Amino acid sequence: MFKLTPSKKRTFFFIAIGWALLLIGDRIGELRQYQGSFVAMYALAIASIILLTGYSGQLSLGHSALMAVGAYAGALSINNLHLHPAIALVIATFVAGVFGLLLGFGVARLSGPYLAGTTLALAVSLPTLANQFPILGGEQGVVFDVGLPPARFGENFSQYKWFFWISTLAVLIMLWLISNFVSSRYGRTFRAIRDNETAAALAGLNTGRLKVLAFAISSGMAGLAGGLLVMLISGVSPSAFPLSLSFSLLTGAVVTGVYSLRGVMLGGLVLVAIPEIADSLVTRIGGSEGFTATLPGFLVSALLILAVLFAPNGPGKLLHIFKKHS
Amino acid sequence: MKRFSIVSAVVALGAMVFTALPAQAAEPGLTSSEIKLGISTPLTGTAALSYGKIPGAMKAYFDFINANGGVYGRKIKLVVRDDKYLPTLAATQTTNLVLKDGVFALVAALGTATHSKAYAAASLATKKVPDLFVNTGFSGFGNQAKYPTTFTVLPSYAMEAKIISKFVKDKFPGQAVALVAQDDEFGVDGVNGFAAGSLTLASKTLYPQSSMTDARAKALVTGLSAIPGKPVVILFGTTDVTALIFKAAESLNLVSKFTWIAGSVGGDANTLLALGVKTTTIDGAIAASFFPDAKDTTDEYVAEFSKINSKYNPGVTFDNVVLQGMNSAMLTVQALRAAGKNLTRAGLIKAIETKGSTFASAGLVPLNYSATSHLGYNGYWMGQLNAKGELKPYGGTLSVVTTDSTNGPITPSTYMRPSIPKNGIPTNS
Amino acid sequence: MIKLITAILTALTTGAIYALMSTALVLVWRSTRIINFAQAGQAVLSTYIGYEVTVRTGSFWVGVVGAMIFGALLGAVIDRFFMRPIFKRIQSGPILMIAPVVATLGLLGIIQSIIGFKWGLTYQSLAAPVSTDGYMLFDRVIAFSPFNLLVVVFATVSMLLLTLLFQKTNIGLALRASAHSPEIARLSGIKVDFIRTLGWALAGAAGGLAGMLYIPSSYLYPNAMDVLLVFGFVAAVIGGLESLFGAVAGAMLLGFAISFATSYVSEKLVFPMAFIMLIVVLLIRPAGIFSKKKDRRD
Repeated sequence: MFKLTPSKKRTFFFIAIGWALLLIGDRIGELRQYQGSFVAMYALAIASIILLTGYSGQLSLGHSALMAVGAYAGALSINNLHLHPAIALVIATFVAGVFGLLLGFGVARLSGPYLAGTTLALAVSLPTLANQFPILGGEQGVVFDVGLPPARFGENFSQYKWFFWISTLAVLIMLWLISNFVSSRYGRTFRAIRDNETAAALAGLNTGRLKVLAFAISSGMAGLAGGLLVMLISGVSPSAFPLSLSFSLLTGAVVTGVYSLRGVMLGGLVLVAIPEIADSLVTRIGGSEGFTATLPGFLVSALLILAVLFAPNGPGKLLHIFKKHS
Repeated sequence: MKRFSIVSAVVALGAMVFTALPAQAAEPGLTSSEIKLGISTPLTGTAALSYGKIPGAMKAYFDFINANGGVYGRKIKLVVRDDKYLPTLAATQTTNLVLKDGVFALVAALGTATHSKAYAAASLATKKVPDLFVNTGFSGFGNQAKYPTTFTVLPSYAMEAKIISKFVKDKFPGQAVALVAQDDEFGVDGVNGFAAGSLTLASKTLYPQSSMTDARAKALVTGLSAIPGKPVVILFGTTDVTALIFKAAESLNLVSKFTWIAGSVGGDANTLLALGVKTTTIDGAIAASFFPDAKDTTDEYVAEFSKINSKYNPGVTFDNVVLQGMNSAMLTVQALRAAGKNLTRAGLIKAIETKGSTFASAGLVPLNYSATSHLGYNGYWMGQLNAKGELKPYGGTLSVVTTDSTNGPITPSTYMRPSIPKNGIPTNS
Repeated sequence: MIKLITAILTALTTGAIYALMSTALVLVWRSTRIINFAQAGQAVLSTYIGYEVTVRTGSFWVGVVGAMIFGALLGAVIDRFFMRPIFKRIQSGPILMIAPVVATLGLLGIIQSIIGFKWGLTYQSLAAPVSTDGYMLFDRVIAFSPFNLLVVVFATVSMLLLTLLFQKTNIGLALRASAHSPEIARLSGIKVDFIRTLGWALAGAAGGLAGMLYIPSSYLYPNAMDVLLVFGFVAAVIGGLESLFGAVAGAMLLGFAISFATSYVSEKLVFPMAFIMLIVVLLIRPAGIFSKKKDRRD
C-alpha cells in the first residue's frame, strides 16, 4: 500500500473535480457552459487576490491591470506570432508574472493603503496605454480566437463546451499548482509574514523577497485569468478591464473568504450568478425605466454589504456562527 | 369536369388553410403571436447620456405597430439588456439574449469594442442570428466575411470624416485645421478617415474620454488659440465633452476665434443646449447629418415620429437620438414584413438584401443593402446650426453626398427618399 | 508665456478640488484607518441635495450650506450605523484591510443606485454662483474665471479652518489623539466613538463642499465624482495620509504634475501621470512625502 500523503490526496481531489466537471459539462446547455467558463475564470482571478492578500497580506486594487497584461500578451501571441492557443495562455501567465515581479520590486515595500493607492493608479492608467501603441489595436483591440473545437470531437461539440473545457482545465491545473505551493514551506512563510511581518523578519525570513514572489505569482495567476477572459469574449480591448473589475474581484474574495483558497469556486459563482439573478428579478418585476436600470446595481451592492456584515471572514466562519446558535 | 372542380376547390381550400398558418417550428423567438427581438445597449454609464434613449424610442414605435395589427398579426416584443458599454458585459448579455431569452433577431446593438466581442462570443455567425441595424459607425462591421448576419445603418465615421474633410477644403481653403478627437473608436476611425480625405491638420489632439474636465478643456482651447487666422476646429467626440469644450471657449471668450465643426456623435444641438452651452455659441456651428433635423416639423417623418413619441414614449423629448431609434424600428418592421408570413431568420436576412434598399426611412441618403453589401446609409449633408439649435443646410441649399469608407470618391447624390407610409404604418411586403 | 500661465492656473484649480477630496479621505483614514470609497457617492449625493436646495431657494450659497450639513449628517450616520457594526465583526488580519474597502464599495453602489432611481441618469447642470468667464490679463482672456478664484479661495479657507480646528482646539486634540492611540485616548476620558463619528461628519461636509465647488464646471450625474476619488486618493497617498497639510500638498503636487504633463506633452498622460507621480514619490518615501517615519504603522 502506498502512503496517502496530503499532496497525493490533493492531486486525487483535483482529478476527481476535473472528471465531475467534465461530466457536468456534457449535461448542461450552452448557456450554462458559457457561464461555467466565466465562473472558472473568475475563480482563478479571485484565487490570485486571495494568494496576495489572504496569504501574504498585501492589498491590491489593480488586478484588472494585471489581467490586462496577460490578456494582451496572449492575444498578441495568437495574432502576431501565430502560436497555438495553449501556448498563448502559458505566455499570458508568464508575461503577467514577470510584470508582477518587476512591479513587486517597486511596491513590495509599501504597506496597506500606499500599496492600494499605487495599484489603483495602475488599474486606471494601464488600459489607457493600449491606445498609445498601434500594435495593441486601440479601442477595437486585438482578436483572440481559439479556433473551433478539434474536428475529432464531432459536430455537436459546441464552441461553448470547448471554452468550458479549456477554462476549467487551465484553472484546475493552476489551482492545483498553487495549492501545492501554499501547503509547502513557502506557504507557511507567507502566512508568517502576513500575521506579523516584524516577527517574521526577526525570525530570519527575507520578507521583502517573499512579498515580491507573492506578487509575481499572484500576477501570473491574474494573467492567466485575463487570457481566459479574452478567450471568452473573443478579443481584448482596454475597456474590457475597467476599474470595476478589480472591485468585483475583491468582492468575490470577501464572499469566498480571504483566508482560504477552498471556496474560490463559490466566489466565481457569486460574481456570475448575482447579476443574472438581479436581471431576472428586474424583468419579472418590471417597473419604471429608472427602476429597472438601477435595480441590478443596487442588488449587487446590497449583497456585498450583507456579505461583509454577516460573513466577513468567509462562509466557513458563517457556518461556525450557525453551529454556535443551534 | 365536376371532379376537377371539386379537387381544385379542395386544393384551393387546403392552400388557404396552410398559408394562413405562420411557420413556427425551428425558429427561436417566434410564436404565432409574438416576435421576440433583443437589444444589448448601455442603459447606465456615460454612454447612456448619448444613447440611453434608443431602446425606449424603439419600443415606443413597436408598441405603436402592435396597436395597429403588429406584423401580420404578430406583436413585437423588445428585450433590452444593459451592457454599460463594457465589452465583457456586451458579450455575456448578447449571449443571454440568444441562449436565455431566445430572441429571433438582434437589433440596434451599440458600440465597436462592445459589439465586435459580442458578435463572436454569442456565435451569431454560426447560429445565423440576424444582427440588424447596429448603432455604430465602425466601418469593419460591413465586412460580410466576418459579420455575415450584420446590417449596418449609420454611415461610418470614416465616411463622415472624409466628407467633412472635403467640405473644409472647399469652404475654408486658407484656414488651418485642428482636430480634437476622443481616444477611442469614435476618434480613431475618424482620424483615419481624415487622413483618407487628405486633410492637413495643424493640430491633432486625442484625449481619453473620462479625463476631460473643464480645466483641461480650457488649457486645450488656449493651446488652439495660438494657431493664427481663424482655424477650423473639428470636435470628434461624445456630447458631454463637446459641451465642455464649447463652454471652455465661452469662458475664454474664444468662441468667435474658431469655426466649429461638431461630429455626428457629439453634435446634437438639443443635448448641447441642455448641458449648458450658450445659444450664441451653437449659432453658426457646423455639423454633418444624414437625417432631417429633429426640430424640423415640416419634415413628414419628423412630424409622424413626433406624434408617435408623444403618445407612446411620454416624458421623453423628441430629439435626434429618438429620431434615429424610431427610424431603425421602422426599418425593422419593414424588414420583418418583407420576409413574409413564413418568417425565418434566413428569410429575414434575404429580405433585407433583396428589398432593403427600397425601404422607407427618414434618411436623406440611400440605403445600400444588397446581396453583396450589408451597408446602410453611406452619406451626409453639411448643415449649420442656428441659435435655436436647428440644423439648416449650409449655404441654404441641401447638398447630399455619398462615399465609401476607404479611398473612393465623394459624389453628389440625387437620391429622393420614399414618402413615409400612411400614418407611419408600413404596408410593404 | 500664455501656455505657462494657463498651465499654472489650471493646476491651481484642479489641485484645489483634489485637495478637498484628499482631505476628506485623510480625515476618515486618520479616524478609522480605512479608505472610504463611498466618499465619491456621499459627495455626489450631498451635491444633489445642495442642487435641490439651490433650485428651491434660488441661492447657490444656501445650497452649499445644505450640501455640507447633509454631507455631515450622512457621514455620521454611515459611521455609526454601518462602519461600526462591520468593525465589531471583523477579526484582525488582512480581512481588516479588505473587508471595509469592499463594504465602502458596496455603499458607493447603493448610493449611486438610489441617486439614479430618484433623479434619473441624465446629466444635470448646476449653475455657478459667479461668472465663469475668464479674467483679462494683458488684454487677452485667461483660463481663470471668478468662479475658479472662488474655488481656490474656499478650498484654502476650509483647509485653514480645519487646521485651526485640529491644532488649536480641544476637539481637534481629541480627534488627533483618538486616531493615534485610541486606547490611551479612551483612558483619558475621550469618547472615542463619538470623536470618530465626528471625523466622518467632517469628512462628509468636506465632500459636500467639494462637490458643490466642482460640479458647476462639470455635470451632475451619479458617477460625477468617481474620477475625482481616484485622484483624491492618489493625492492623499502622495501627501502621506498622516496630516491635512500632506493631503493638500499632495493634491497641489499632483495637480501641477498632471497639468504640465498634459499641456506640454500629451493629453493622454492624465492617468499615467498619476501613477508615475505615485511610484516616484513612494520609491523615495514609501509612506508619502510628509509622513513622519515613526508613524508608518498602519
